[in-house]
Amino acid sequence: MSKNISITIDGKKINTTEGKNLLQVALENKIEIPNLCFHRKLSPTGACRLCVTKIKNMRGFVTSCSTAVTDGMEVTAFDEELEQDRMHTMSLLLAEHNESYDHTYPDELKNLKEKYGLDKIKARKHKPLKTAINHKADNSSPVLTYDSSKCIKCFRCIKACEEVQGKSVLNFHERGLESYIIAGTGIWSNSECDGCGECVQLCPTGALVEKPHRNEINLDKIERKVKTTCPYCGVGCQIELFVQNGKIVRSNGIEGVSPNDGRLCVKGRFGYDFVGSNERLTTPLIKKKGKFVNATWDEALDLIAKKFNEIKEKYGNDSIAGYSSAKCTNEDNYIFQKMMRVAFGTNNMDYCTRLCHASTVTAMLRSIGDGAGSNSIEDFETTDCLFVTGNNIIETHPITATYVKRGAKKGMNIIVCDPRWTPLVKYAKIWLQPKLGTDVALLNGMMHIIIKEGWFNKEFIEKRIDRGMEAFEELRKLVKKYNPKMVEKITGVPAKKLYEASKMYALAPTAMIATGMGMSQQVTGTHNVFSLLNMCFITGQIGRERCGINPPRGQNNVQGATDVGVSPLNYPGYIPIGNEENRKKVAKIWKVPFEKLSGKAGLTTVEIMKAAHDGKIRGMFIMGENPMVTDPNLNHTIASVKKLEFLVVQDIFHTETTPYADVILPASSFAEKEGTFVNSDRRVLRVRKAVEMPGEAREDWKILLEISKRMGTEIGNYKNASEIFDEIAKVTPIMAGISYKRLEKGSIQWPCPDKNHPGTSTLFLEKFNTPNGKAKLNPVDYAEQSEKASPEYPYILNSGRILYQYHSSTMSRKNKSLTAFANKSYVLIHPVDAEKNKLKNGDRVKLTNIRGVLETTVEITDGVAIGELFMPWHYGESLVNSLTRDELDPFSKIAPFKLSAVSIKKAK
Amino acid sequence: MERNKILTGLFGKISPTSINDYIEHGGYSALKKALKIKPANIIHEVSESGLRGRGGAGFPTGSKWGFTAKEISDQKYVICNADEGEPGTFKDRLLMENNPHLLIEGVIIAAYAIGASEAIIYIRGEYYESIKKILKAIKDANKEGLLGENIEGTDFSLNISIKKGAGSYLCGEELTLIESAEGKRGHPRIKPPFPAQKGIFGKPTLVNNVETLANIPFIIAQGAKEYKKYGVKNAFGTKLFTISGDVIKPGMVEANLGITLRELIYNHAGGVLGSKNPKAVLLGGAAGTFVDASMLDISMDYDSLAATNTTMGSGAIIVMNESRSIYEMLHSILRFFKHESCGKCVPCRVGCKQLLLQMQDLEKSKDKNAVLDELLNEAKYIARNSLCPLGQSPVLPVSTAIRYFKNELISK
Repeated sequence: MSKNISITIDGKKINTTEGKNLLQVALENKIEIPNLCFHRKLSPTGACRLCVTKIKNMRGFVTSCSTAVTDGMEVTAFDEELEQDRMHTMSLLLAEHNESYDHTYPDELKNLKEKYGLDKIKARKHKPLKTAINHKADNSSPVLTYDSSKCIKCFRCIKACEEVQGKSVLNFHERGLESYIIAGTGIWSNSECDGCGECVQLCPTGALVEKPHRNEINLDKIERKVKTTCPYCGVGCQIELFVQNGKIVRSNGIEGVSPNDGRLCVKGRFGYDFVGSNERLTTPLIKKKGKFVNATWDEALDLIAKKFNEIKEKYGNDSIAGYSSAKCTNEDNYIFQKMMRVAFGTNNMDYCTRLCHASTVTAMLRSIGDGAGSNSIEDFETTDCLFVTGNNIIETHPITATYVKRGAKKGMNIIVCDPRWTPLVKYAKIWLQPKLGTDVALLNGMMHIIIKEGWFNKEFIEKRIDRGMEAFEELRKLVKKYNPKMVEKITGVPAKKLYEASKMYALAPTAMIATGMGMSQQVTGTHNVFSLLNMCFITGQIGRERCGINPPRGQNNVQGATDVGVSPLNYPGYIPIGNEENRKKVAKIWKVPFEKLSGKAGLTTVEIMKAAHDGKIRGMFIMGENPMVTDPNLNHTIASVKKLEFLVVQDIFHTETTPYADVILPASSFAEKEGTFVNSDRRVLRVRKAVEMPGEAREDWKILLEISKRMGTEIGNYKNASEIFDEIAKVTPIMAGISYKRLEKGSIQWPCPDKNHPGTSTLFLEKFNTPNGKAKLNPVDYAEQSEKASPEYPYILNSGRILYQYHSSTMSRKNKSLTAFANKSYVLIHPVDAEKNKLKNGDRVKLTNIRGVLETTVEITDGVAIGELFMPWHYGESLVNSLTRDELDPFSKIAPFKLSAVSIKKAK
Repeated sequence: MERNKILTGLFGKISPTSINDYIEHGGYSALKKALKIKPANIIHEVSESGLRGRGGAGFPTGSKWGFTAKEISDQKYVICNADEGEPGTFKDRLLMENNPHLLIEGVIIAAYAIGASEAIIYIRGEYYESIKKILKAIKDANKEGLLGENIEGTDFSLNISIKKGAGSYLCGEELTLIESAEGKRGHPRIKPPFPAQKGIFGKPTLVNNVETLANIPFIIAQGAKEYKKYGVKNAFGTKLFTISGDVIKPGMVEANLGITLRELIYNHAGGVLGSKNPKAVLLGGAAGTFVDASMLDISMDYDSLAATNTTMGSGAIIVMNESRSIYEMLHSILRFFKHESCGKCVPCRVGCKQLLLQMQDLEKSKDKNAVLDELLNEAKYIARNSLCPLGQSPVLPVSTAIRYFKNELISK
């Protein structure tokens, strides 16, 4: 532990800890030593030389940014000599600097210049060198511009890219006065820069500036800066939105707070333009004679209430179902489930989580009693070994990945298990590339090796596993036949690699697992995660700090929507509906008669569509979901939706689903309402209103309350989102201690059972969340896939996501900054298969199977295995899900998006 | 070995490409002896010898070894700085070309002493001949079992590799050299941490100059006591001086530290070419100091030179006769610094350009005294505020040129 010490700066005594950065200590104590190249997040550079000090018993000037404090250190930060040299340094800097300023960026040099009176040219020692330097500019990136005439060569952008984001794309070109920043080998748009803009955020001058809205933004005219949560993936980055003329014109990462500490990805920084898009829905629409016509809210809401009541009466409560949305707030989702349960009287509700981590959650609930990630995002940097399986973490959770990459730099061992090359492979020690759908065999094989080599943790098994060694023996028996040779035959993973990976994971002092869609979106999804958990248990790599299993969540509020009860099986806080006691408790808080709450398990996402096809579901309410892109076996889904008597879609845009609606309701985006999201590490984060809704659009929860009321059931009176959250806290024991008031001070990780509880960063340290507190081993056998390659459909198609698009791309595709990077569907194919089919890069091809057909463009890469294909599924014009199956995992009802047999042929 | 020749004794007597020649003349006997001594005792011997770094800074070698040896790490490195870039300096090149094994032997002993298993010789890229000879020497030493796994049957193993510099003066500075050897741009690192704690790839690293390491075999073979018979107090041993410019017989000479400048110029370099006395001598290259003829009897050792605010630096001695212009020489040196400034820190990046502009002002200005004051102030400011030794250097030639040749500069 660091020692408490005291130092003096200019005679002022300061208590601090040994080894801290002197400049940081000074700044924290309001001693404003000038500096430009220093940034809290970066290693010290010592380039600008403004932070020079004198330290007793040290020779000459010492830069405070590169000095660690020691006990009794006596520092002079300000005297005439130091200040003279600082002005000298600034005079030199200004001599090479282009000082024009267009109010579009914060300028630290300008501020210092004014502070020291050097804005007066006469006060300077040196004449400008402008003509002596050949300045360079690079405008090629879609999201930023670089201008070397405003660059002070402080290294902050280079280090932002390398040290903070782990990308290392930037460096200097040329030398001395002529040096300037380049990306990659010289042209920004040709480089590996993925547009995260960390360099822009950390640039102290106008050398690197955001391109979007540069011509309209004026930092002196910003009306407000609103701190809120990013609406994209489940990392939950904290962003600050700049509003000018009622429009969002910039997004910055908020420094110094979890989970992102100022870091953002390209979506978080440049993906906000969809909010102000002129394609937003602005008025309710009712379909009349096959065409949508504008309607008043009264017309639309009355029609909806009338229709749903009719259906209820005619076919019963359970003839209605709802899809809620992981993009909406907890408050919206909470009211949604309350509306479904109280006003509609059914548990038929679900949302995209079913198609995402349902199997993970099912397996985790059964084994350890919690479906959420056991660790905090910071642990992804500090654990010793990270096993990343079926999780393209760099593209799908870019900010979690920054922690991983930083860890890798410090020596963390990363094992990537993925049938397809992902960018994380570059940072990994081992890449296991199993054939699609063979994960159980692979993991059983790893456990076989671990047990055989004696790398299991007997103490952990005895203390923390249900039935201890007895349960272990059952597992040992089951995995005995999974010898490396057999596993190699099934999975294609060389025995030696499997051995190395098993050893690396089992023997690591601490190890974590990150599991993604590759594991969960399979018919055997639950079994996959059982196997993963089994391995985690027998090695004891859980239940300690920096150990555990984590399913990083795909959408901003997938975690929260289930937390607050959008589930066919559970009330808020994972309280099973089947239990009468539970129903009574909830009914009391909701002030409804207990009999009104159905105890019958509801239908899940794909089951709802199947029931619609069978005529059992007659009416549907879809809030912020786009099943016509996201559901499997789309042609069947289309047929199902067409059979509905009444469909309401509440969204912010027209989507692939809205054409099938009878009524479309214009809703609010994340930037237009108050609320909360829950991120992947169970962190409850505030969402705050930045701009007004367009046209007549309304907040989602307000619409739902109004529908309930018009159906004849008042489900609550709330003045604002904060009051809804207070009710959530009452019903949801894991959030009982959380309120908006507390969240003002910062986010809180659930479980947080009372007002004084600080929240929980790591789960299961003492016990598991099961009735007896122990984890349960669930040995499972490998089963062959029912869908196989055949002569007719010889390729296995895998699907997934990319960095620049998000979910069904309703939001992401409305941002020019994002579409400039990626806007086109493609299929990855191995060079051998390409040659066999006489395909070239860029060829248009048809992918076909018994369920559907699509057209896309060929990209040849050895990043996929021979016989396997990969497609991103974001694009509506090439619907990958027209080829996927709706055969479900029997335990979690997830669909196998990752494995469909198809044929590939050149399109005519 | 010939007395008074610790480093160059075998020059011309052996074929530099023959390891057998070297061994027959007693080569690698120091290594064999060293392998039977405890590393701590080797470091003690080196400390006792009083050997100081020959790259220019003159830091006590034994202390540097001691710092690196005491670090605990799974991997340590020895880096030999053979990026000889100081103008007027060519001693390391001649050493590597004429007796490469002497250096290899020194490197191996250093690695054994500090517990390193990897050594890198970072050689200036233009030194084709040195590179060729060093590579051959490494290969032959490996073949002989003097390098590689379990050297001489001991537990000690060492791999030596080379890296080629790409023409940057600054890469001869030890921390910049480490960056460059890691494959990065030649930018200096900030200290601390020092290489002994965190050097190449974050591991404890000993960086020594070629000439420094070439002294090691003698010290081990003959002992510190014998070594101290050479040179003078606080400056034991011999030094390689490279004498160039207006002399009759330019070249390299190995001489005892403490020899006078006069002896070096008149006895070893045949006297001044074109005039009786030199007008000026530049000691230590561009990052060195000017002296005039009144200083010819100065003792060439660290303390005597420091006492007169001059420096020996790398051992470069550039002689200028009466026909030479101090202004042109200084201007050329400042152009060199401006060209070689890496640009990392502001004082050096922009300041070196300002020095050049001020030199040009000297021609036009009426108040030349004031311009010289400004020039000196700027150089002092740069030295005070710069990140690395490059920025700390221009003040040396500037201040001494003004000290000894102010009148000439003013009359420009």
